[in-house]
Amino acid sequence: MQDLVSVVTLGSVYLLFALGMSITWGTIDILNFAHGSVFMFSAFSASLVLEQTTLGLVPVLLIGVAVGALLSVLIQVLAFEQILRRAKDRRSAEMQILIGGIGVAIIPLAIAQHHTQSNPFGLNASSFTVESLSLGGLRVTNIQVLTVVLALALWAAAAVWLQRSRQGLALRAIGVDAQTAALMGVDRRRLALVTMAVSGAMAGLSGVLFTYSLGAITAESGDTLLVKAFACIILGGVGSMLGVAFGAYLLAAAEVVILTQTNGSWVEAVSFGLIFLVLLVRPAGVFGRKEVRRT
Amino acid sequence: MSDFFSSNLVLVQSTLSGLILALSIQVPLRMGVFSFAGAGSYGIGAYAAGILVLRYEFGALTAIALTVVGTAVIGFLLGAVISKLNGLYLAMATVAFDLIISVVAINGGELTGASTGLFGILTDFTMTQMVALTVAALALVAMSEVGRLGRRVDTVRDDPELAASMGINVRRYRLAAFVVSGALGGLAGAMNVLVRSTVGPLDIGFGLIVLALTMIIVGGSRSWKGALIGAVIFTWLPDLLTVIGEWQELVYGVIVAIAAILLPRGIYGVLQDGWRWAQRTRRDRRAAARGGPVVDDDGGLRPQEDEAAVLAAQAADQPHRELDQLSSRPQGAS
Repeated sequence: MQDLVSVVTLGSVYLLFALGMSITWGTIDILNFAHGSVFMFSAFSASLVLEQTTLGLVPVLLIGVAVGALLSVLIQVLAFEQILRRAKDRRSAEMQILIGGIGVAIIPLAIAQHHTQSNPFGLNASSFTVESLSLGGLRVTNIQVLTVVLALALWAAAAVWLQRSRQGLALRAIGVDAQTAALMGVDRRRLALVTMAVSGAMAGLSGVLFTYSLGAITAESGDTLLVKAFACIILGGVGSMLGVAFGAYLLAAAEVVILTQTNGSWVEAVSFGLIFLVLLVRPAGVFGRKEVRRT
Repeated sequence: MSDFFSSNLVLVQSTLSGLILALSIQVPLRMGVFSFAGAGSYGIGAYAAGILVLRYEFGALTAIALTVVGTAVIGFLLGAVISKLNGLYLAMATVAFDLIISVVAINGGELTGASTGLFGILTDFTMTQMVALTVAALALVAMSEVGRLGRRVDTVRDDPELAASMGINVRRYRLAAFVVSGALGGLAGAMNVLVRSTVGPLDIGFGLIVLALTMIIVGGSRSWKGALIGAVIFTWLPDLLTVIGEWQELVYGVIVAIAAILLPRGIYGVLQDGWRWAQRTRRDRRAAARGGPVVDDDGGLRPQEDEAAVLAAQAADQPHRELDQLSSRPQGAS
């Protein structure tokens, strides 16, 4: 049963992180490889602020959210918009954005590595302390509960936003056919900025939560998470909100099983292997509709 | 010169193996196959060559030959399995392949030395052999960029449907990209481990993909010359940047980001454009001074500004030539 707690909390971290990536990829067609860097840098910024003053949980979370959103918008304006303006067709734009994301991601990583000398950093200076609770015989920490609740709430909110609101409709329209959407009066640039901000805010939030629950993270931890988030998205199907949740919890379950059954060093291979398997057997993912490409 | 050479031997060696690694990712890119499998092959190559030398006491060249054949076969198998995929999906499948290799290396126990890796791999591998192998590989890659083969490769990348309709077996070319990428990656890894004498799981992770990609992106993705520029820059840059001191990683990141965003064809592309522009203006100026027709890049004749009047005047006494305007132009750029 204690393993189930691990699955749910780990899956929630993955969900929160992958959600932002999934939204930008499924709608405005940006597979953001700097997402891991945003995640890490938000937590890093929070730890920097905590070096100066002591803050409680909520202000620290807000710092993470703000830094994440700001950084993502900056990346969108300075990098992805420039690439899209210069690219000659959609296919080469996809590649350039992937490569540009990898390039941009080096900058926050370099700053954090320089400052921490590649040592782990944490949020211990916060006045909020992680406490263990006992719920019906299960040991959970307060930050685990918060992670799960926030992940599920934000996931539901994002799904409703995409399905019900006018903005969500416009975003999904861009995802299906960007040109026609633009003809219908969708302001693609503004929506892309909003989407990137939301996605970055989620990355920042998950960064702070993850750092709280682990105690400390290293500057490089964003990279591994990036590939895992990709596995979650692929597993569920690109653009499917149900899919990304399914993928996140399934990956977490698989990892926890491997972790408890073996000595643990194979855990990393699970997500990579899953990517491979899903792409071969069902590239559209479990909940994905078959992608229709009109060229 | 020899002083410079011996004091920078390590950097020269890194440049050579870095160049081959960059080529192993550039060759598939040039065929429109977005595969990073070269980095995985590099990992396999490094470990295979290390194990062959360390545990089975093979000679350097035999170990390299066996490794290259092995990674080429693995490249073929991988290509056969995932050649259906395209674009981002292919890219991520190959990233997953690369990362699985590093997890296998950590879990290889006695054979791969687990998380400490292999060390003490000493052989008779000489610098001359390394240069010869690198030049040979480079020459083969360069040959695929010119002539009939070069044009076919360009067509397979830019317009697969057109290529197929012209009788090019696109599938076979894509598969060949995986095989070549595997062989080059294996060669790079094997050479690097034999001159460096150690390899560990940290050497073959995500960072390796980023390094190879940055070399190609900054140098130029369409020609081996771009890979060469990139390999030289990114092997020597960290050394030069020590002048800047503690912020060198940041400068490195900024260079990569700017190149990725603003120079999609890399430094080589910029040089190429500049060279073409200089040649064209020189030729135009010469042609204008002579008053003859202007020859385009592709050898065609550019019409003169008042061509209609000139042609009419030339054809005035020969009415039958009025219709056949092309033949009345002076042929060639004599």
